[in-house]
Formats: sequence, structure tokens, C-alpha cells
Amino acid sequence: MSKLLQDEVTPMQSGQSPYEKMLQNCLRGELRIVNAGLPQSQKRLSDLLNEKYPYVICNDGSTHLFKKTELEYLAGMIDAEEQKALLLPMLIALGADQAEATISILSGCEGKVEEKIVSKALDMPVTCDEAKIRIYKPQLALLRRKLKTTTVYVFSPKIVT
Amino acid sequence: MPELIKVRPTKVELVKLKRKLSLAQRVQKIVKDRLSILTMEFLQTARETAEAKRNLIDALTKLYRALSIAAGYHGYIVLEKELIATESDLKVTAGSRNIAGVRVPSFELADTPSKVGMRGYSLVDTSSWLDRAAELSEENLRAIIELAELQQNFELLAMEIKRTKRIANALEYIVIPGLQVTINYLNMKFEERDREEKARLKRVKVLVA
Repeated sequence: MSKLLQDEVTPMQSGQSPYEKMLQNCLRGELRIVNAGLPQSQKRLSDLLNEKYPYVICNDGSTHLFKKTELEYLAGMIDAEEQKALLLPMLIALGADQAEATISILSGCEGKVEEKIVSKALDMPVTCDEAKIRIYKPQLALLRRKLKTTTVYVFSPKIVT
Repeated sequence: MPELIKVRPTKVELVKLKRKLSLAQRVQKIVKDRLSILTMEFLQTARETAEAKRNLIDALTKLYRALSIAAGYHGYIVLEKELIATESDLKVTAGSRNIAGVRVPSFELADTPSKVGMRGYSLVDTSSWLDRAAELSEENLRAIIELAELQQNFELLAMEIKRTKRIANALEYIVIPGLQVTINYLNMKFEERDREEKARLKRVKVLVA
């Protein structure tokens, strides 16, 4: 029987084929580049406002430059105390069904500042639930239009609930 | 019809294939998310580019009109004399930002003298027509820099969408179906082997008895 099976199945291969190797490398590379632009650490808005060239260092060692006009736009929405609490750039993850996006809150103020900013930028009330603000895709486009450099996308292979 | 992957029909290979399938599905989820984001950003950039171009053309029209009036009012020689004194280096903050894994340039015009008295020409010898022309020139510079950034982003995003789409299609139509077909094939092989083993045992039992 085993002889029969061996006859039917194509000859065994030692290791992976060049095609498979290329494919694995491609997949690994894809995973690496999608989150290469994530910041190594976030900075407070109050600190960024005092910098001559406001930027953060990304995972791949490159810099992510913030536009001063955008920082001033954010600063105009909130008071000095809230500027100290707001960590930038804000992280946006896409939901499992791609219909909604989630803004993850990492600052220690339970998302009140982010909630205020997103509400004002979108001109509609949003609520922060479990350190996450959920918005729909058309609203995401609107938010990104106003906050181009102060928000970044995060990609997770896990399903965002 | 997806192609069968050439593997040895063993349980170890089956486990390896299942792992590869899981990895491919995870990557597919990320690639799809990324493609969706890139498309959204691309459309947004396209809209903004068209708007910026329109704004620039409007601003240039206004500027040429204002300059013509200023030239007519002062005369070319006086205007040129005043404008030579205002020549200064343009300061642009250039950096980069990341949109879903795509590095795009970011430009911002810095330190433009927006106050009338700071522009460098004599306020005594010139009129408000020149002030207006100078103000419109600054607006134009901003519009040009904004358009340069948007145009570059537009091209980079388009190229990345093309590349990501190829990966997404390869995963959806070749890689994942190929892995699924091979896993099914191996499962069928093992079931067949079990059935043959049972039949062989029954035959041996009959022969022994």
C-alpha cells in the first residue's frame, strides 16, 4: 500500500522549494513593513509644541514629522492640562469587518482628552469605551483629513473586538 | 483550479501545511486591512490634490492680476528695484511620515513674514497694491508646497496599492486555495490508508482463523 501511495504522490523534496521560500519571505516582509511606521514611543502634545522640529522615532529607525499647524489645531481644542495628558501620535486600528475603526487610548486620562478631540474634529459626540473610541469608516476618512500627521495606523493579525 | 503542493504524505507535513495556512490567513487579513486603508487614503489624496490644484490656479490668477495692477501703478523699474531688496531664502521643513507602511514626504513652509512691515520693501515708496501682491505670493507658496506634497503622496500610494493588490490576489486565489486543497488531499489519503489498514487486518484475521 505504501508503495502505491509513493507512486501516486510526487517525489519528496528536501526542504522548501524556491517558490515557497520566496512566498514565506514575502509574507514575513509584509508583516514587518506594515508596522514599521509605528512610533517607538509617544510624546506629549505640550512637549511637541515646544520642539523646533516636532517628531517621533519609528520602529524602523525613521522619523515621523508632525506638522506644526496640526499641533496648533489640537492645542486650540484643549487646555494646558489636557495638552500634557495627550500622547501623540494617536493609534488607529481597523476593526475585523473593516467597517469600523478603533482609536486606542494609551494615555492615563481614561481617554477623555482623545474623546474631546475626536468629538470636536468630527463635530459629533463619541464615547470612549474600555480605552477605545469606535468610529465608522467615513468618519475615519474625515478624521484623517484633519489629523494627518498626529494619527497613525496599527495593523494587528488578531481580530479587534 | 488551485494547484496541489508537492509534499510527502505524512502527518508532520500535514501539521506544517496547517501552520502555513494559518500564517497565510493572518497575513491575508493584514493585507486586506492595509489595502482598504491605502485605497481610502488614495481617494482622499486624489480629492485633496484636485482641490489643491484648483486653489493654486485661482491663487495664481489673483496674484498675476494683483502684480499687474501694482506694476501699472508703480512702473516696472520701481517695482523691480523694490522687489530685489525683498529676496530671501525660502524655509521649508521637510520630513517624512508613514501611511500604513508607506513612507511619504511631508513639507511645511516655515517662517513666512506675514506682517506688512517685515517683507523687506519700503512702505513709504510703495502702495497697498504691492502689499496685496506680496500677501498673495505667500499664499501661492503655501499652495505650491501643499500640492507638491499631495502629488508625491498620490504617486507613492498608487504604487503601493498596485503592489499590495498583487499580494492580496496571490494569497486569495493561489496560496490559500493551494494549501487548502493539499490539506484536504492529505486528509483523504490518511482516511484511505486507515480503511486499507482495516481491510488488511480483517483479511489477516480470516486467514489466521
